[in-house]
Amino acid sequence: MSELLAKVAEILGAPETLVQRSAEARAEASGNTVEEVLQSWAGGEAIAASAPAAETSVVEEAPVEEVVVEEAPVEEVKEEVVVEEAPVETMEKVIEEESVELKKESSLIFIAGVLGVAMFTYFFAFAIPKNQSADLVAESLNNEIAVSQEVLKGAQVYNDLNCQSCHTQNVRLLIPDSQNGKILKNKFADEVIIKNTGLLRLGPDLSTSATREPTNNEKWLTRYLTDSASVRDTIPHPNYDFLSTSDLDYLLTYLLSLGEVNE
Amino acid sequence: MKIKLIPNNEQDLSKVFIFLLPLVVLLSASINFLKDAFRSFSNVLPGNQVLNYGFLDKLSNQISFNFLFSFILVVTVVYLLSKSLGRSIIIFPLFFLTGLGLIGIEFIDVVLAFISPEQLLDLGNTSVLLLIKILLVGAFLGLILLNFLAKKEPSIFLSSQFLLGAVVFYLISLLIYRSEYTVMSDNFFINSMYLSTHIYVGCSFVFLSIFYFLITKGMQATLFSKTLGTISFWGYLFLLPWTGFKYFYGTTLPDWIENVSIYLSLSLIIPLLALIVNYSKTIATKENKEPVFSVLISFAFVVFGLTNVLQIISSISNVTPIVSLTNFEYSVRYGYMYSLILILIPFVYHLVPKIYGREFIYGRLETFNAYLLGTSVVATLSLNTLIGINSGFSWNAGANAGNPTIYGEGFLITWSLISTPYTFILFLSLLFLLSTFLFTLSTLKAIIGGSVTESETVSEISGDNDE
Repeated sequence: MSELLAKVAEILGAPETLVQRSAEARAEASGNTVEEVLQSWAGGEAIAASAPAAETSVVEEAPVEEVVVEEAPVEEVKEEVVVEEAPVETMEKVIEEESVELKKESSLIFIAGVLGVAMFTYFFAFAIPKNQSADLVAESLNNEIAVSQEVLKGAQVYNDLNCQSCHTQNVRLLIPDSQNGKILKNKFADEVIIKNTGLLRLGPDLSTSATREPTNNEKWLTRYLTDSASVRDTIPHPNYDFLSTSDLDYLLTYLLSLGEVNE
Repeated sequence: MKIKLIPNNEQDLSKVFIFLLPLVVLLSASINFLKDAFRSFSNVLPGNQVLNYGFLDKLSNQISFNFLFSFILVVTVVYLLSKSLGRSIIIFPLFFLTGLGLIGIEFIDVVLAFISPEQLLDLGNTSVLLLIKILLVGAFLGLILLNFLAKKEPSIFLSSQFLLGAVVFYLISLLIYRSEYTVMSDNFFINSMYLSTHIYVGCSFVFLSIFYFLITKGMQATLFSKTLGTISFWGYLFLLPWTGFKYFYGTTLPDWIENVSIYLSLSLIIPLLALIVNYSKTIATKENKEPVFSVLISFAFVVFGLTNVLQIISSISNVTPIVSLTNFEYSVRYGYMYSLILILIPFVYHLVPKIYGREFIYGRLETFNAYLLGTSVVATLSLNTLIGINSGFSWNAGANAGNPTIYGEGFLITWSLISTPYTFILFLSLLFLLSTFLFTLSTLKAIIGGSVTESETVSEISGDNDE
């Protein structure tokens, strides 16, 4: 042990007492014995990472300091005294830093970081662009649509039945629907009408439903909504025969308005 | 078996939760199966106000993404927070009441869905209870922060880091969901942000929290690198909330936000690689040689990795326009949820002996169930991806050829491409339901009839950490 200590002290160019103290501190931090630490400093195998991973990087830092120490003898003799002391200070400092890093991983900094990222995301991915879109619409010349109360009630029935879970009202690649086209004309549209745009296109898109055959036909629509299998049995569609007559009428009014309000 | 109705500490509370957890998973799988059945056979099955695809879809979202999610979140926080921070939970009675309140409010949301179906919003929450939910999640977050500040461990362990991230973004998602719809693009802003903060970040962070606990403590292995874990944490925390916009490519969302979403989704490769390296190197040192336990963790990890790969694939410029507004997003949404459910099963198996002091034996049933769960989940995700690509191609090809299937004229062509995968998904949904039933059976069997073994004490829960 003492031979090993002397050898390491010679390699590092530091007093034996200091090397002994440093090795003890390192051993405590890494969970190894003092002898193992000294052996690794003497050029033996690296210390196995049995300690928590956070400490692995600490073990890897040691050779960097050793390089600094080895460079010292190159300096002139007059400065040798100073140079010899320099690595000693550095080593003490490194060990202090290592223990500080382990003991004082601040919860406050971590919490601040997480909350910072969350607030950054909220403002830059959501609040600011959302307000910008609304401002664009407010500044536009043609931002109103006229919708009757019956259509709005129908839109509510459509939304309650969750039709928007399968049908969109959002045709891509067409000029009126891309970017600002559609939003400009719907600034004062009802919240439900906006939600009815849908998020997933499983069934056909209904944005122009009232302008096409056969969905512009009220009788056909009524039959399809109440008994879909009698019209088209190959495609499953829910039957809404449980709807009250008034709700069904409102729904039909809404569906027959699609294609007009959004044009 | 003794379960206290009013628990005194985290161990008592974990006892109640672990007992109920399989039942909540079973409820979620049952509603999901019913929803899938009404999607494929809605014109044949008898329907009414409750039994129709539209309502069941909302209800399924409420149960899976809100009720089940909040339940898992509270269970995980109760057990893992004290474990990670090296101390028993401070102000436990308040903590218990807040957690219970959160689960309770989500359950009332489910009940309210039947009483007042029009109150249930697309992604599950009802507008009536949303404000109370925000207050409860805020209080829950506050209590977690207090525990963080009072930690005893010198460093913050990865499990608790991910839990804090999940709760912070849970709160953000609820705030977003309360926003006003004033212009068309708001529908996409609000829903894509809710999806990415609540489901993408929420589910994946709770998954990663349990995952890091199981690959170290559960597998009895030494964590390879905390630095890599930290890279995963900050990487996912920064990137995931932005990844939802690209699934609404070509809608009224601004171009720049779609492009940012695409680039940041491609960057998911960095935290994913860090996670893969950390996992493979860590399990190389494992001492727990139980194969079923490892298989379950591996399946959960594969599903999580696959979901990340889908996120990256959907950001490739040729793919993004095809998969937007299709079922492809469902693969991602359910990918994160399924990975969480899959990791939950070994977590519960691991906790039964520790919490109840009953031995858990991995028999043939558990082995069969592990493979059944894994394969049914991977197949479901693959089929949803296939449906997304098929329908996306069909919409685009039809529109370019002058026969726009998007309007319905050519929808028969699209339906012929996607109806068979939907039928398979229904079958897989049934298999998933069966496997959740078997999971419930295995857990209850061990809790009630397992041979007695040494259980963990409260001090062990709060003090012993191998991460």
